Amino acid sequence: MSTIITDDQFQHIAKLSRLEIKPEEIFIKDQLAQAATYVDVLKELNTDTIEPTFQVNHKNTVLREDVIEPSLSQKDALSQAKKTSNGYFVTSVTIKK
Amino acid sequence: MSDLNKLNLQQALDGLKNKKFSSRELVSDCLTQIKKNAATLNTFVTVCEESALKEADSADLSLPLGGIPIAVKDNFLTKGIRTTASAKVLDNYIAQYESTFTKRLKENGAIIIGKTNMDAWAHGSSTETSDYGSTKNPWNTDHLPGGSSGGSAAAVAADECIAAVGSETAGSIRQPASWCGVVGFKPTYGRCSRYGTVAMKSSTDSPGPLTKTVDDAAFILSLVSGHDLHDATSIDEPPWKIPEKLTTLNGLKLGIPLSYFPPETQPEVKESVLAAIESYKKMGAEIIELPDMMDPKYSIAVYTILQRSEVSSNLNRFDGIRFGNDRSFFAQEAKRRIMLGTYSLSSGYYDAYYTKAQKVRTLICQDFDHQFQKVDAIISPVSPVTALKIGATEGQAMFGEIQDMLLEPSSISGLAGISIPCGFDKIGLPIGLNIVCPQKREDLVYQLAKIFEENTDYHTKRPKL
Repeated sequence: MSTIITDDQFQHIAKLSRLEIKPEEIFIKDQLAQAATYVDVLKELNTDTIEPTFQVNHKNTVLREDVIEPSLSQKDALSQAKKTSNGYFVTSVTIKK
Repeated sequence: MSDLNKLNLQQALDGLKNKKFSSRELVSDCLTQIKKNAATLNTFVTVCEESALKEADSADLSLPLGGIPIAVKDNFLTKGIRTTASAKVLDNYIAQYESTFTKRLKENGAIIIGKTNMDAWAHGSSTETSDYGSTKNPWNTDHLPGGSSGGSAAAVAADECIAAVGSETAGSIRQPASWCGVVGFKPTYGRCSRYGTVAMKSSTDSPGPLTKTVDDAAFILSLVSGHDLHDATSIDEPPWKIPEKLTTLNGLKLGIPLSYFPPETQPEVKESVLAAIESYKKMGAEIIELPDMMDPKYSIAVYTILQRSEVSSNLNRFDGIRFGNDRSFFAQEAKRRIMLGTYSLSSGYYDAYYTKAQKVRTLICQDFDHQFQKVDAIISPVSPVTALKIGATEGQAMFGEIQDMLLEPSSISGLAGISIPCGFDKIGLPIGLNIVCPQKREDLVYQLAKIFEENTDYHTKRPKL
């Protein structure tokens, strides 16, 4: 059975992804549906009792001593930003008064 | 001497050590070759002419890679050098720190000659999705070099460098190495640090070398591998050591997965791989067919879901605030991948897609465990076909996934593998042999690749440019 992605769903995914989709890129919607249909092949396999593998070299959480190590200077950290002010990055307004 | 760029790593080191030529002469010959081919091959995004020549003049030849020009895929952060990952989002990004991999190369004396072209963000198997135009295959410029490390593979094949480095997430070292007729060594996941590489699919990203010979790849791996505190998934072991080479394969069992020869396999690819298997048999190996190896079609689906999901998370950081351009600069391939990942991770779909794929990943890992109880290594084609034509990816939303179907299972499972040249098709395009061993068994990967190389001359052939 093929997966259907509605226009509303497509716009919602674009919003969650913080992407603007141009009118000429609307075909991406059908490509998403095609890919979602393709991966349905996994339904052929019974995984009811199988644990997921998120990490293949089976390492546990890695911790280190809480000591200060050399890191990027403020100057270097800011060096690639388009807009800075008084040693800060400048972002667009996210919370309006 | 001229044409020093044609030397392999061991020859170049030998020449420098014995003062047959200088590092400047070696670097200059590579730069000349890069310039000569720039318009036809488009292998580099950035060429570091000035810094490379300067470093050559002060090269410390006592170091293991002293004075050697190496090409670096453009997804490794190289401090002070433009690093784009072939994406316009990072068009003017100058890396603020050095990746562990390139730091170790430099500490060993290597000179970065330039940053090579790739599929944008490493999303693809062609380099055709690069925002800076496709790289062309040096063997035939109507064809693709493969990808995503296509620029690095083509730069090695075209003798524009002495060696190169790339990264593999699911075929991105081995497939371009195969299509360009060079060696591509994909280490175990965690063998080489990912710190300072532009993250793509973090749970499988594996940096590694692309070289002219098996020994060259092993030598680089022995210098750049080893634990790194900056990468939590890095294997907690000292650098990998090159083992003794084998003179016979008596007692070794090599598995041939029948499902890795799908109907679309090009006849010459099948013939070359079967001939390689026959030569392994003559060297003493026992050949065992693996009729029950899991169909690679499941890996295509697992990889598609997991890669998109991790990409949607990893590319979320590119907002144009701290570095790079804003999200309107993403090209279609990245948009498509981010959106499918967002979809598979979103509420209501997470279990059906993401968790399901991680569970099938467990089955794929278990399948390898099962097969490796019967055999020591698995041999197959790298790609079912030789290099496809420029334009082959057009309209193909899953081009890379399908091209890399024979490599995805081992990448998803974090195994060690290599692509080595094993023949040519009827129009002269190279064919690659895929050798896969369990995690941390780079020793056996090396030994099997080395003994094959010693008994063949495919690796000595170079394209006419």
